[in-house]
Amino acid sequence: MSSALKEKPYAEEVPTTSPASVILNGRYLPPPEDKDGRLWVRTSALIQASTNDLYAMWRNVEAAPGWQEQIKHVAVTGERTSHWVMQSGEKTIEWDSEILADEPGRRIAWRSIGGDSDNAGEVIFEQAPGSRGTVVTVLQAFRIDKLTSAWETFTGRNPKQAVIENLRHFKALAETGEIPRTQGQPHEDRGLIGKMKISTYGEKVPTPSGSN
Amino acid sequence: MKAVCWMGKSKVETLTVADPKLLNPHDAIIKVTRTAICGSDLHLYDGFIPTMESGDILGHEFMGVVEEVGKEVTNLRRGDRVVVPFTIACGNCLFCKKKIWAACDNSNPNAHLMEAAYGYSGSGLFGYSHMMGGYAGGQAQYARVPFANVGPLKIESDLPDEKVLFLSDIFPTGYMAAENAQIQSGDTVAVWGCGPVGQFAIASAFMLGAARVIAIDRIPERLEMARSLGAITVDYSEEDVSVLTALKDLTGGIGPDACIDAVGLEAHSAQLQGTYDKVKVALMMETDRPSVLRQAIQAVRKGGTLSVPGVYGGLLDKVPFGAAFGKGITMKMGQTNMHNYMKPLLERIEKGQIDPSYIISHRITLEQAPEMYKVWRDKKENVTKIVIDPWANAAA
Repeated sequence: MSSALKEKPYAEEVPTTSPASVILNGRYLPPPEDKDGRLWVRTSALIQASTNDLYAMWRNVEAAPGWQEQIKHVAVTGERTSHWVMQSGEKTIEWDSEILADEPGRRIAWRSIGGDSDNAGEVIFEQAPGSRGTVVTVLQAFRIDKLTSAWETFTGRNPKQAVIENLRHFKALAETGEIPRTQGQPHEDRGLIGKMKISTYGEKVPTPSGSN
Repeated sequence: MKAVCWMGKSKVETLTVADPKLLNPHDAIIKVTRTAICGSDLHLYDGFIPTMESGDILGHEFMGVVEEVGKEVTNLRRGDRVVVPFTIACGNCLFCKKKIWAACDNSNPNAHLMEAAYGYSGSGLFGYSHMMGGYAGGQAQYARVPFANVGPLKIESDLPDEKVLFLSDIFPTGYMAAENAQIQSGDTVAVWGCGPVGQFAIASAFMLGAARVIAIDRIPERLEMARSLGAITVDYSEEDVSVLTALKDLTGGIGPDACIDAVGLEAHSAQLQGTYDKVKVALMMETDRPSVLRQAIQAVRKGGTLSVPGVYGGLLDKVPFGAAFGKGITMKMGQTNMHNYMKPLLERIEKGQIDPSYIISHRITLEQAPEMYKVWRDKKENVTKIVIDPWANAAA
């Protein structure tokens, strides 16, 4: 470390790097670009809970339908494998997933190993500077054609946005024990244009239950 | 139940909709006993706030009796009398822990809409557009209150509803405006807008040590009300009155120590710039009409403070930022961190230090609400504040 600035009483060590990390050798690392049919999304949240508790909550894959949008069912099929069922409108998508790296309290990495979805991802849990909670960073990649992605954006949730919303749900659930929702509240009929706009707001995508 | 619904720009209707249900473990259902129309509801009425959708139930100032609570609500029970803050806060995120409740991270289900517009999302609000959460409002017979363990203030004394209703928004909002003005004893404070928030800002400025308060408006009954609180009034609509000159004259030439913009995005201006802003808004080249903000930045003294409780929504044009920099002023603003103020202000009401009901001019039924939105927007019938009894019979 440079010795040019000696007085920084509250500075902290930069965390060690891993693929989802946003810092590499002291430089900010931008997220990977979409290329060759592979879409990337990186998102992070500051959560008021310990790295261990958040790791445990994420690692409990069978509880994922409680906070991940449109995930209907997850079954553990082996020590590191699970089977995922997703319901997107009328469409049911199924795939198997395998955990590639599992470091309790620090990091989980996974990829799909066959089925209707081609995805891979990593989540890291790091203590925020100044002990202000845990920074959870998710990096996810998937293959999906642009037309499908555009259609899903129009009718509800763009798959990249879904990753962002899922982390938001995860945070709300971890911090408050529930996921904020307005679906099911009263309103007068919205008319045709209103219905279309509500759909583009993403308000038609069912909010996960928030139960464990 | 009956509810006041936004059905499009300048179109509000009282309609029969489904009753609200508990949707989350920390929810409560409140039987609304009193609710009010807020000046900021007029921004919705006039179509200034994006992502309002036809069918939305309006209203963010309400109180009532707890009808039902979710399984995780431990501090409230059926029959409790409560005032509900208009900002919804979870109580557990970093911002709530820092007591910046209006910046709650977890209460806006449509946070992505606000992130797109503002960078980050603030808390969810009742009845104030989908961007701000899309929550059904309280100008209705019942309302669902999320995070009911954090927000609602229990009223245990027998104070009538009208004395405590304004703890739901405008009294804390006026108070925070005065607090944000960083008033030191002996200060002179100028307040633009003598509507309800302006009134409470004036009262609060005196409570926090102002020696002199100057109130600026054009509506005679509002100016009269401001004088009744002890303010010196300036009627900017009088032909020979220049607000900037008036404020210099009233401060020995140095300007007010603090300025409070309790008007916000729909400022009315008799000058040429009023027409300029109307044209630019119509052409969608700006979204807000910031004539008060411009004037307040000009008026505040060197090193003074500008506090903005008035609502702004989007893009502003010709804001004299050079003047702000040149004088080294401090600006403080934002949605009210309600939860910090409700209890201490209730104590002031209980001690008889202030009776907020003095601003009420109209008491109406839900059926009368659509007409009264129009009347208030058009500044007719001497409206200062409209309170709705959702259970009163229309014929009464």
